[in-house]
Amino acid sequence: MKRMLANLVTVSTLALSVALGAGAAQAKDFLLGSELPLTGSLARVGQGMHEGISVAVEMANRSYAGKHSFKVQTIDDETSPAKGVAAVEKLAGDGVVAITGGYGSNIIGPASEAAQKAGLVYITSGGVSPELTQRGYPTFFRINNTDGYALAMIGLLQDMGARKVSIVYLNKDATSSLAKQVNGALTAKGVTVGMHEFDGSTSDFKPLMNKVKLQDRPDAIAMVGYENDYVGILRAAKVLKPQVKAMVGVWSLATAQMAKEFPDLMETVYGTSMLPYPVEFTHPEAVEFAATYKKLFNKDPDYLGQFGYVQTRLLIDAVVRADEAGTLSKGGLPDELRKTDANTLIGRVTFDKNGDNLNFTHRMGQHQGGKVVLVWPQDAANGKMNFPAVPW
Amino acid sequence: MFELTLQALFSGLLAGGYYATVAVGLALVFGTMRVINLAHGELVLLAAYVAYAAETTYGVNPVMAIPVALVIVGAASAIVYALLSRIHQDREINSLILTFGLGIILTNAILSIWKADIHSTSDPWFQDSMVVADTLFAMNAEVASFVGGLVLMAGVWWWLNHSWQGRAVRALSSNRAAATLMGVNPRRIEILSFLTAALLATFAGFAIYTGKTVFPALGHVLTVKAFIITVLAGMGSIPGVLVGAVMIGVIESLTVTYLSASLQELAGMVLFLVVLFVSPSGLFGGGRALAR
Repeated sequence: MKRMLANLVTVSTLALSVALGAGAAQAKDFLLGSELPLTGSLARVGQGMHEGISVAVEMANRSYAGKHSFKVQTIDDETSPAKGVAAVEKLAGDGVVAITGGYGSNIIGPASEAAQKAGLVYITSGGVSPELTQRGYPTFFRINNTDGYALAMIGLLQDMGARKVSIVYLNKDATSSLAKQVNGALTAKGVTVGMHEFDGSTSDFKPLMNKVKLQDRPDAIAMVGYENDYVGILRAAKVLKPQVKAMVGVWSLATAQMAKEFPDLMETVYGTSMLPYPVEFTHPEAVEFAATYKKLFNKDPDYLGQFGYVQTRLLIDAVVRADEAGTLSKGGLPDELRKTDANTLIGRVTFDKNGDNLNFTHRMGQHQGGKVVLVWPQDAANGKMNFPAVPW
Repeated sequence: MFELTLQALFSGLLAGGYYATVAVGLALVFGTMRVINLAHGELVLLAAYVAYAAETTYGVNPVMAIPVALVIVGAASAIVYALLSRIHQDREINSLILTFGLGIILTNAILSIWKADIHSTSDPWFQDSMVVADTLFAMNAEVASFVGGLVLMAGVWWWLNHSWQGRAVRALSSNRAAATLMGVNPRRIEILSFLTAALLATFAGFAIYTGKTVFPALGHVLTVKAFIITVLAGMGSIPGVLVGAVMIGVIESLTVTYLSASLQELAGMVLFLVVLFVSPSGLFGGGRALAR
């Protein structure tokens, strides 16, 4: 009996050791790659996305603790398409399993092409130009797109009852595409639209705003650009005081940073925003995301961090699934990502055959007394729209 | 149409003043040393960030930050000069490489210290509008910077023409060997030029911080604009800088008004090329042009 018990203990110990050993053998370290503009003109947005990626890696390491671990190797593309390509080639040479990041459609285009040539998945939220997904690259994935931004802007302007709109837009790929889409949709609904393109070097918007004021005489001004451009446009508008009922923008505008940095300029201005500010999270994953973000960066998360987090977390989960299915090393990651159907911090995400997330719809926030209040669509709103109202 | 044109001319004039303030320091250094300081825009930016730091950390008005910014930018400028003065071979090309590198270092230092967010003054007075005859609109900051820039440029022009050091600067610019034989200490005069350029850069930084927005990548943009204006003016010509800058400002503004804002940079470059085609040494060029 004693010998039987001893044998049983020995066999059990051996079995446990084998089981643990096998488990340990399956645990893997995954190296992700990230190319982002950490310096240059897009440094602000690149760093914002980088923060979200870091949070995703931190949280994934917690949720997969004991099974897998993840690291991210980041290369600064210096806001240069050529350096974006070089970064992807370097990351491919260093053996990353996939790439998350990228900002600016003009950089993401060639960088993701280099990833495609290297057989690497490239997932982003930093470029909304339709041309990126129209290429049909099987390794390219994007969680947001122009349609989602355009729908939000068009929806808000329609709810306001604007009959004449002036669109002031930057002449880059993503901003031009969005402006033209909004123009087409509004024109089709009988709205009179004035289109005003500007160059990235424009710092004095008064001559342009004077045209809008004296020639267009719109009900609302729609701005499609970046932080710098919004500040310039709003300052010019504040000086010239056109008779409009609303100033509406898109990304990088309804943010905590803009509320803090330019409080007098932002009041009542609208912009796309997934989150209100101060941030209100209820879903457990979102609460953990906000807490991790605060721990790592000592500030509340913004939309850039949120998008960077979502794209990276979806990628990590797909990497694990592909690894478990034994297809990761056989080029199975794109197929695994395409199977994604997840409710995330930015809503439901699935990918079509071109890697686009057709579920993406944005929300509109309005700066109100130092806060960002979600005002559109109605079912996502956490406050009332202050309309008509302008910052001057 | 008349209102549009008037506002375009007014905006162009103010923009020209702003461009001139940024460019005149570059022109002065080129006039004395035959060196294009490609870190000049970053020095302007450094001054803007010092104003930002003073305002946000100590709550002081950006105007009060000018003396502190002057000391910091002056020290940075002196370092640039100290490094430049060690170049003895192929000075013109090697100085370009050196100052370009220094510009990158300064940009990244600014990025590390102040991050990539955009900033501008929170003092509302600077953004308040000034209306002339119910037709011409500008921000207080733009008008104040224009007037201040003009006064500063006039002061530099007077200094170059009527003070011993100013005449020494011009003498050095005209003929270095002859000036040295006449008792001018070239190193002392060169560093004086660099410090004067630092003063101008400090004021330009203040103008940008109060009237525009600042971010780390801006320095390079300022350097390019200053370089174009310096060449357009006639290398080293101070009055030429003002005329060239106003021409660029006005042509850009009229292009925005009557064509498209996306063509304004192109219009400025076309003007630049036309002037160089007609007068290859620039508007006020033709040899040693300092202070003409």
